[in-house]
Amino acid sequence: MSMISRRQLLQGVGAAAALAAARPSLALARGMLTDYVLDEVTGRALAAAKAAGATYADVRIVRRVAESIATREDHVTDVSSSDSYGLGVRVIAGGAWGFAASAHVTGAEAERVARLAVDMAKANAKHVRRPIVMAPVKPATAAWQTPLTRDPFKIPLADKAAFLLAINAEVLKVPGVKFCNSSFEALGEWKLLATSEGAHIEQEITRIAPGYSATAVDATSGEFVSREHELPPSQAGWEYVEASSLLADARKIGEDAVEKLKAPSVTAGKRDLILAPTHLWLTIHESVGHPTELDRVLGYEANLAGTSFATLDKLGKLEYASKIVTLFADKTTPGGLATCGYDDDGVPTQKWDLVKQGKLVAYQTTRDQAAWVNEKESRGTSYAEDFKSFPFQRMPNVSLAPAAGDKGVKDIIAATEDGIYITGNGSWSIDHQRYNFQFGGQMFHEVKKGKITRALKDVAYQANSLDFWRSCDMVGGAREWLMGGTLHDGKGQPVQSNGVSHGCPPARFRKVNVLNTSTRA
Amino acid sequence: MLTQAQMKKLLDGVVAAGKKLAKGADFAASAYSARASNTRFARSEITSTGDVDDTVVTVTVSYGRRSASTSTNQTEPAALAGAIQRAQAMARLAPEDPEQMPLLGPQKFLPAPAAFDPATAALPAAARADAAAAAIAAADAAKVDIAGFHELRGGGLGLANSAGLFAFHAATSVAFTATARTPDGTGSGWAQGYTPKWAELDSAAVAKVAVDKSVRAQKPRKLDPGKYTVVLEPAAMDELLEFMLSALDARRADEGRSFFSKKGGGTRIGEAIFGDKITVRSDHTSKATPGQPFTGEGLPLAPIAWVDKGKLAALRYSRFWAQKQGQKPTGSPSVTELLGGDSTPAKLLEGVKRGVLITRFWYSRWLDPQTILATGLTRDGVFLIENGQVVAPVNNFRYNESPVKMLKNADALAQVTTPLAWWEGSLRVPALRTHDFNLASVSDAV
Repeated sequence: MSMISRRQLLQGVGAAAALAAARPSLALARGMLTDYVLDEVTGRALAAAKAAGATYADVRIVRRVAESIATREDHVTDVSSSDSYGLGVRVIAGGAWGFAASAHVTGAEAERVARLAVDMAKANAKHVRRPIVMAPVKPATAAWQTPLTRDPFKIPLADKAAFLLAINAEVLKVPGVKFCNSSFEALGEWKLLATSEGAHIEQEITRIAPGYSATAVDATSGEFVSREHELPPSQAGWEYVEASSLLADARKIGEDAVEKLKAPSVTAGKRDLILAPTHLWLTIHESVGHPTELDRVLGYEANLAGTSFATLDKLGKLEYASKIVTLFADKTTPGGLATCGYDDDGVPTQKWDLVKQGKLVAYQTTRDQAAWVNEKESRGTSYAEDFKSFPFQRMPNVSLAPAAGDKGVKDIIAATEDGIYITGNGSWSIDHQRYNFQFGGQMFHEVKKGKITRALKDVAYQANSLDFWRSCDMVGGAREWLMGGTLHDGKGQPVQSNGVSHGCPPARFRKVNVLNTSTRA
Repeated sequence: MLTQAQMKKLLDGVVAAGKKLAKGADFAASAYSARASNTRFARSEITSTGDVDDTVVTVTVSYGRRSASTSTNQTEPAALAGAIQRAQAMARLAPEDPEQMPLLGPQKFLPAPAAFDPATAALPAAARADAAAAAIAAADAAKVDIAGFHELRGGGLGLANSAGLFAFHAATSVAFTATARTPDGTGSGWAQGYTPKWAELDSAAVAKVAVDKSVRAQKPRKLDPGKYTVVLEPAAMDELLEFMLSALDARRADEGRSFFSKKGGGTRIGEAIFGDKITVRSDHTSKATPGQPFTGEGLPLAPIAWVDKGKLAALRYSRFWAQKQGQKPTGSPSVTELLGGDSTPAKLLEGVKRGVLITRFWYSRWLDPQTILATGLTRDGVFLIENGQVVAPVNNFRYNESPVKMLKNADALAQVTTPLAWWEGSLRVPALRTHDFNLASVSDAV
């Protein structure tokens, strides 16, 4: 398929086929498909790469904008924004990757960078044992955008700051609360991908992260604790903040901090855990999301992030979890931080099971990895943080499927004799093959004979990923299924940041090792 | 990357444009200009590579106590004017910050030893590929797999403002890490090299350390969790020490939300908190730890001891908090060193009846800031020590431990200190022996 320029798309010249192939969102695109001057840049990059000997090339022009506001108590401590823009050219020559980037988005610079990338690929080709093979994909011409109604970058700063300061004021009305920090972060990502195979894809993704924490201090004992609000970041506009309960919850968050400070320290031992979606998403991220990244499994991340227990010989065999557990990957769920139309290889995004009824059935792949697991096509999980980053396998949204019925957290608590109900995220840590993990939380409540009895503190649980997932005996229904996530999951060398969400209902895990983390005298 | 002269020209232009566009405002500009290049290998072959030259300009506009910053990597005059106008608009909308400090005028800086190596800054991709090949050859010779990463940076940071400040510091750095794994999946070893100069890095030698360690770590023996005497190699030391360093903040201590808060108010400066063998200092003028001579605001840095022979000697004061408390601002230096002792790596093992030798930690996270308690895991080489000898590889562990206790219980430190990459700067630490270290649970990872 030949490349269709946006100029042609806009003018409707010879583009009927392309328009028909494009997604419905194309017609609704806000402020996109306007900068057709860029087609000359991408065209020159791809032509220069080919002329220098590349067998495959792609070029990404990426603008990444960020805005953040931070406050403490009664004042704003930071207002800042950033804007990075440039082009990155990735090539295959001699079976090896080469990549170079520049902040100067001009045709001449695109050619220089493309030639530099080919030079690097050739230097590397001598030291490649298994030449890169890209799984086929039908080249797309398309546009995709985050559905939103209020662009967070267009909301006046003063309004955002006033919102945060109003939260702080409410939190600080609670006796015993001494500090309150609140913040808002917005990330905007616009990118144009063109490949030597003819793909031409423009996407704009908007992600936001509002949040705050209250700190209670006991002046007599010198003890202090913090309590964070649990609203997750989302791919959304300011309307997400407006519809949230952030402000309405302010007093409660302050009161929780005081309650936590006064709460008795947990008694260590085996307990049943009832994990809320605001907590469980991170456990899924660490113990399912990372172990099923195919590059980790193969050893590509051995030098930093590590490898994985879910090795290739276990595919289709490993009993990862109890039979009531199905964990799926997707880059399509609205609001998910990893959701988009196409990955950075130009592959349309999709949804697939990683663990089906307890069994390991698939991995996360990119075009250059599909052949490793005898798959004909990529699952579409390639991503580069910005123009100067090399695209590689990044985690899609990985989620726990809800069970049939509408069982909620109240039902799970009612069915539990001796347990702890955990919400929100505290400390988290897992080993480099993803066996041994240890998690804290925001709030911990003791459950006795089907009822919440009191708050606890100093709680962490430590387990082996497989033992943990195999101990899952209750999964909530779709009614309480919720996505948590992070804007900044790090992976790779140099480390790149990726936004990713994990949906889940509340669930119960039996007889997990609970620690008391206090070392206070 | 930009030279000092080019940087000055760029920033002078930005400040001049700022004064013109944002009349009546205070105006500060900074720029970090660098070439960053890297080569990555895994499964004993090169897997990816990158090369980018980027200059990021940050402008801060302040109207009285209303202030905002914005950054851009587009350095043409029109783009910079756009950034200034954006910061201006944001500053006008921003609420007042009662803690805002006035701009610093021209400053005198204590010079740092030369830290910029032109050959490193200009190194071609083929040299990195050859170094990767040398590391791979070391692994091939021992029939193990290797993964590694060369990351080079040559860059300069410049600051200028409407009060007449100008500051510039350029540095190069080469960070190399390698992880070797035995084909049976039971042994893993790691090593690193960090230096300002490419010519000083012997990639094959670093790789060989990782390779040898992976072979020695093969088929680990099962060892129960518990409290052990441990010998921590520099990378392990470093990771735990960072928690302690991040807690050295005066304001948090004064506010009663820090390990360094004194009961009833104030800080614990002057208290003997650590063992008398422990001295931690920052000195950007030292040849051992060359670093940036100023903070991001242009505040001159001076050599400072944070811990002096076990006593808490200083905490970090921002300009605002220092003024409020009647103290001198310290800023946050980019280099820190835990001074070595009088031991050697071999002597650290001597006298250990039963203990554990740890190469490095991984995924370390806060557990409790009240006690500077952290958790994390060992990886890439854990060995049982008996009667002063390394006798066998053992399984990995999760630790739940505090760097304060680690330093308090330390009874021997190696003389030699090793530089490691640390955020935008470096840390230098020795290997150390300490006691009663909590290896809390077993990790099956290799």
